[in-house]
Parts: sequence; C-alpha cells; structure tokens
Amino acid sequence: MGTKIASAASTTYGKHPNSSSRELLSEAAVKAFDETDISPGDLDAVYIGNFMGGLIEDQGHIGALMADHVGAREAASVRIESACVSGGATFCQAVQAVESGDADVVLAGGVEMMSTTDIEHVTDALANAADDVYENEQGLTFPGIYALMARRYMHEFDVMREDLAAVSVKNHRHAVDNPLAQFRKELSVREVVESKPVATPITLYDACPVSDGASVAIVVSDTFAADHGLETSAEVLGTGQSSDALALQDRAAISRTPAAERAAERAYENASVTADDIDVAEVHDCFTIAEILALEALSFYERGEGTRGAVEGETAADGHIPVNTSGGLIGKGHPVGATGIGQIVELTKQLEGRHPNQVSEAEVALAHNVGGSGASTTVTILGGE
Amino acid sequence: MPAWFDAFTDAIASGDQQYLVCETCGHGTLPPRQLCPACGSTELTQEPLSERGEILSFTEISVTIPKFHGETPYTVVLAELDEGVSLTGQLRDATPDDIAIGDKVVLGTEPHDNETALITFQQAED
Repeated sequence: MGTKIASAASTTYGKHPNSSSRELLSEAAVKAFDETDISPGDLDAVYIGNFMGGLIEDQGHIGALMADHVGAREAASVRIESACVSGGATFCQAVQAVESGDADVVLAGGVEMMSTTDIEHVTDALANAADDVYENEQGLTFPGIYALMARRYMHEFDVMREDLAAVSVKNHRHAVDNPLAQFRKELSVREVVESKPVATPITLYDACPVSDGASVAIVVSDTFAADHGLETSAEVLGTGQSSDALALQDRAAISRTPAAERAAERAYENASVTADDIDVAEVHDCFTIAEILALEALSFYERGEGTRGAVEGETAADGHIPVNTSGGLIGKGHPVGATGIGQIVELTKQLEGRHPNQVSEAEVALAHNVGGSGASTTVTILGGE
Repeated sequence: MPAWFDAFTDAIASGDQQYLVCETCGHGTLPPRQLCPACGSTELTQEPLSERGEILSFTEISVTIPKFHGETPYTVVLAELDEGVSLTGQLRDATPDDIAIGDKVVLGTEPHDNETALITFQQAED
C-alpha cells in the first residue's frame, strides 16, 4: 500500500516565549488542515515527536494532549521520543501505520519548547540524548561529543577549521529567504570561526540555535486519497532507520556515522533509487561537522570529501546537490522534536515547486534526521506528484 | 551514580580495573552488560584492563551543564585503551595545547562533588 502526504506545515522556528507546546502544535495543525480536505475527525492516529517536554515544560503524555488539541480526541495517540530524531521516527511510524493497513489517515507532528529556560538547563536537557554515566557525568556535553567527532575528522582528512565554517555560511545564506527560519542574516567564515567558543573546535555559529516550534505532516493511504478525490502533495517512496551505540566511545568509528549509512542504504533500497537520483536534501546539521558526515553517509560524497559540498558551492541551492535549502538546523532552527517533520514540510514544498529557495525540477527528495550523536537515524525519500 | 559505576571506578582507583570480553566473538566492552553488543552472546567474562591508552580525540569545553557549573574551561579526552575499548574522561595536569591525537595517556579516577567519581587521563611519562 502506498503512502501520500496530504499536506504539511510548520510554525516559524525561533523564540516563542509567550507560547507553549500545545499552542505551537495546534498552529501547525491548523495550517496543515487549511491545505487539505481532510478534517480532524478523519484522523485514525496522532503521533507526536517530542524530546524534552517532561524536562522543560514538566509535561508528559504529550500524544493524548496533542490529539485532543488537534480535534482528534478519540484517535489512537502516542508521543515518540528518540532524542533529536523524534520527528523523523514519528514520520516513519506514521508511514508504517498506513502501510500496514492499520490506519488510513495519521497526523505526524513534532513540537519542542526550549527557549523558556537558561542555556545550562537546555544543555542539560539535550545531554539526555547521550550516555548519562559514561558521557554527561564525565563533563562531556552534547556539543562536546560533536567536537570530538569534528577534531578526529579534521585529523584524519587534513581538513581546515574554515572548511567546517563553510557549512554554516551556506545554511545561513539559505535561511535568509525562508520566512519560517530563525536566523535570516548572512554570516562570513570569519564570523563563524571567531564566534564564542563552545567546545573546541566548535564555536557558537557552528551550532544550531535553541528554538521553539512545531511541524505537522498529514499522511494518508493512496486508497483513501483516491476514494476521497484528495489532491496530495508528495508520495513517500521509502524510509530507512537504524541505531548504534549511545555512547561515542562504544562506536566502531567516530569520524563517520554508521547508523546513518545503514538507514540510507535501507531507504534507497526501499525507494528503488540511488544517491544520484536525489534532487534536493534536508540533512541533520545540528553542528557543521554533522552535515559533512551526513553527505558522506548518504553517499553524496566519498569519505573525507564531504567538505567540498559547502566549500565549492556544490550543496548550495543552485549547486548540483542542494542541501538544506531551508537553512537547515543551523539557519532555520532546531526545535528538537519538530525538526524531522519540519524537514518533510520543506521537502514537500520543493516537490510542489513553491519553496523560497526552489530547486529546478525537484522530483526526488531526501530527509536525514539524527538522534543524539548518531545513535539513531532515519532517512526518508519522497517523490513529487 | 549507579552501583556498577562506583564499582568500576573503585577498581580503577585500586589499579585492578576490568573490562568484559565476549567468549564467543572476542569483542571487548565496558560494564555493565549481559549481552555482547557485537554478537548477542551472554558468555562475557571479566578481564584486566590496562591503564594505558592513546588519545583518539579531545575537546576543551566552554559551555557546560549545571553539574560542572563554574569549572569551565576543562578538557575532555576520548582515549582508546590497549585492549581496544575506549573511555571518556577529563584531562589532568595538562592543557589542550600540550596534547595531540595519538599521544599516550594513563587512566585514572578522582572524586567530584564528594559524591561521584570522574574518569581522568594524564599524559604518559614515557
């Protein structure tokens, strides 16, 4: 059974100090319902990606809460948590529910409120994605883990600090034109390199910001769409998902992301496409090094070649493999649980030909979403209608 | 901290640290595990773990979590010990300018906040 995206929408990502998870998720849902003939009463299930609701807002049981707030109080509901891939995992579960025949219409949402607490507490909440005993309790922060990966990668492949910064420069440039993005201002390589140190070699502008936001995708079976004469936005061609050791110290390698490699291989096989077929991609650039590792895991570049994407302009919106035309996590923002669904929203716009950084003839699109420092990853491949 | 980690760091402090070796596939891993992450076997035995290792990577942390408030900057090292298992710990008696990937280090442990133990690394003398 095939799965379609009936509609998809996001709130703006950024600081929403006077809002709350329930208001943000509802806002994204209203926007998504506005663009389809599906109504809340049609929803068989509501799946919500969320990472730190229990830590920041003291709110658990978010699946049922959000089902109620999107007008589907009687639907099956669950919150799905897999750190920063909570959104991507939510989308995969929604697709599987439809493909299994168990559901015809599923709302796959994601939401996160992060800006209402101070930076040490957000860093502490994000650290829940890592191994608490072997990493956090030793003083290793989440940016610190990516810093370990970055330094090792630079050592193995003779990469310059400025080559990492180029990813941030490109993604900030993309974000300028995206009305949903948190940062709409260009940055130079020098501004990135000279920004506040976080965990060497990573500085503030190598990192995604602290963000609030929500995204919603409404997925339907192709038979439901046909029976109801629905106009759909995109087709789900394939998904792939894999895991790895939670702690970086237990991984087979720290300068590559094996779980992402496995997820990509499964998604490509599932969708019957190869990396060469991808016209546009949204990848998980929580830090600049993460985008470089993603490009290699997805087979867009050979090992050690990933820096070329941003440095040579090949991954710019007008390059041969445009990556993060939304601005990515770095430019658009990273409300953790929403991000994986937000990627689907951006790619759906690309496939419909109405993205602010439109790629010409975008027919096949890929989303890559990572949990923690690579312990869980989803890859989703979409096709245009 | 969980009791298993206290036992692990107590053993480091007394110089008889252990790791787990899979009798089926030979994979080395750290406690506590009941199944081998490489092959799923439950035949894991404790073996002595060397105190010597090599730096895989390191980072100087400037923005930290509340537990380490006021202690920045400090340096975290990821080191691979001679048996092939890796550990994360804080650098002692040196600055990040003094060390490089591939340098030899020695494993240690020390109390933190009078309650939990930290894993530490010092540069090896030879």
